[in-house]
Amino acid sequence: MNHLSYLAVIAFISLCAFGVNLGFRLRILRRWRELLLTQLAIVVIYLTWDTWAIAHKHWFFDTHQIMNFDLLPKVPIEELLFFIVVPLTVILSYQALLKLTGWRQDGESQ
Amino acid sequence: MIYSDIALDAVFFAVIADLFILRTQMITRGIYWLTYGLIFPFQLLTNWWLTSRKIVQYSPSEIMGRRLAGAPIEDLLFGFSMILLTLALWEFFLRRSRKTGTEEVA
Repeated sequence: MNHLSYLAVIAFISLCAFGVNLGFRLRILRRWRELLLTQLAIVVIYLTWDTWAIAHKHWFFDTHQIMNFDLLPKVPIEELLFFIVVPLTVILSYQALLKLTGWRQDGESQ
Repeated sequence: MIYSDIALDAVFFAVIADLFILRTQMITRGIYWLTYGLIFPFQLLTNWWLTSRKIVQYSPSEIMGRRLAGAPIEDLLFGFSMILLTLALWEFFLRRSRKTGTEEVA
């Protein structure tokens, strides 16, 4: 199961995201348009950087610990999943903390 | 130390986007720093998992060499930029929807 090492951490982060969304009743998918736009922008920006950096050997992956399904040249599919799941978790945490603190969502509309 | 330079530029870009392009001013708000503070230990945990098992490795010539939880400290700059840009975009798109009259977020 060595080749699932990277995927394991993504699964863990996804579980956190799922738990936060359910636990705080955030119903994030009601804002699916905004979510999609945000996620799309982040994926494009950071996957571009990632692809370039991998091509220039800034960092590299252990082929025994990834699924070896390359999305872009030498960019493991785990990287795409990472750039989807992490920003999603960040947004959910933000929404959960807004709910928890009762602070205003929008600084301008106070 | 190319990664170092790009990571610093990424932070710079995220801050400019937040303050002047998207005008979300996330970095001036307590809720942003609270969220960052919550995510931060999880970033260290993820970094530790990925680097201690050598799932990902960094070319020594591209980094400064200082490490935290196994990963180059440049990773903190990368993480900060992505968290800031994510929340700035999220707030930007929500605000835009509100202006065009889509329903309010609870």
